[in-house]
Amino acid sequence: MNLDLLFKIAGVGILISVFHTALKQAGKEDMAHLCTLAGFTIVLFWVVQLLGQLFTTVQSVFKLY
Amino acid sequence: MEIIQIVGLGFIVTLLILIIRSQRPEIAVQISITLATVIFLLVLAKIEVVLNLFRDLADKASVSQMYLNTILKIIGIAYITEFGAQVCRDAGEGAIAGKIEFAGKVLVMVLAVPIIALVLETIVRLIP
Repeated sequence: MNLDLLFKIAGVGILISVFHTALKQAGKEDMAHLCTLAGFTIVLFWVVQLLGQLFTTVQSVFKLY
Repeated sequence: MEIIQIVGLGFIVTLLILIIRSQRPEIAVQISITLATVIFLLVLAKIEVVLNLFRDLADKASVSQMYLNTILKIIGIAYITEFGAQVCRDAGEGAIAGKIEFAGKVLVMVLAVPIIALVLETIVRLIP
């Protein structure tokens, strides 16, 4: 069970929103957007791997070749 | 009692999404995709047992494997289509969800073509 992935994603989301607010307060708008983009990319990487696992499992169970 | 685990997980993730959605809606969508995937992976192992039973029954009743495989493929396509469409609709993209469902319907129809042809052939043979 990869439940820890869910909590990792939620943690990254909260952390990103904190960083975004802090960087925005410091007047670094472009860095704030880069930070958001980086977090989004990391999470997307995990989600895409999990989706690939799901699709291969569905293909093997339902014999969708 | 896996259902209690799954319901509890659903509640917790719903709360997390509620917290995160106001700040970062894109991460909230990704959490919901992850939850859907995790739950389906949990359930899939059990579906496989039932499907193996169906295959055994079809073997015993000497039903051709082709029919059963076609039905299973259709179920698989329907599930994946539904999954993709729901994720898109949750993110507010109803148009893309509609296109995904359309593609799924067309693919299911293509898979059903051999069976439809067989049925028509049988009917034509029955008519003198």
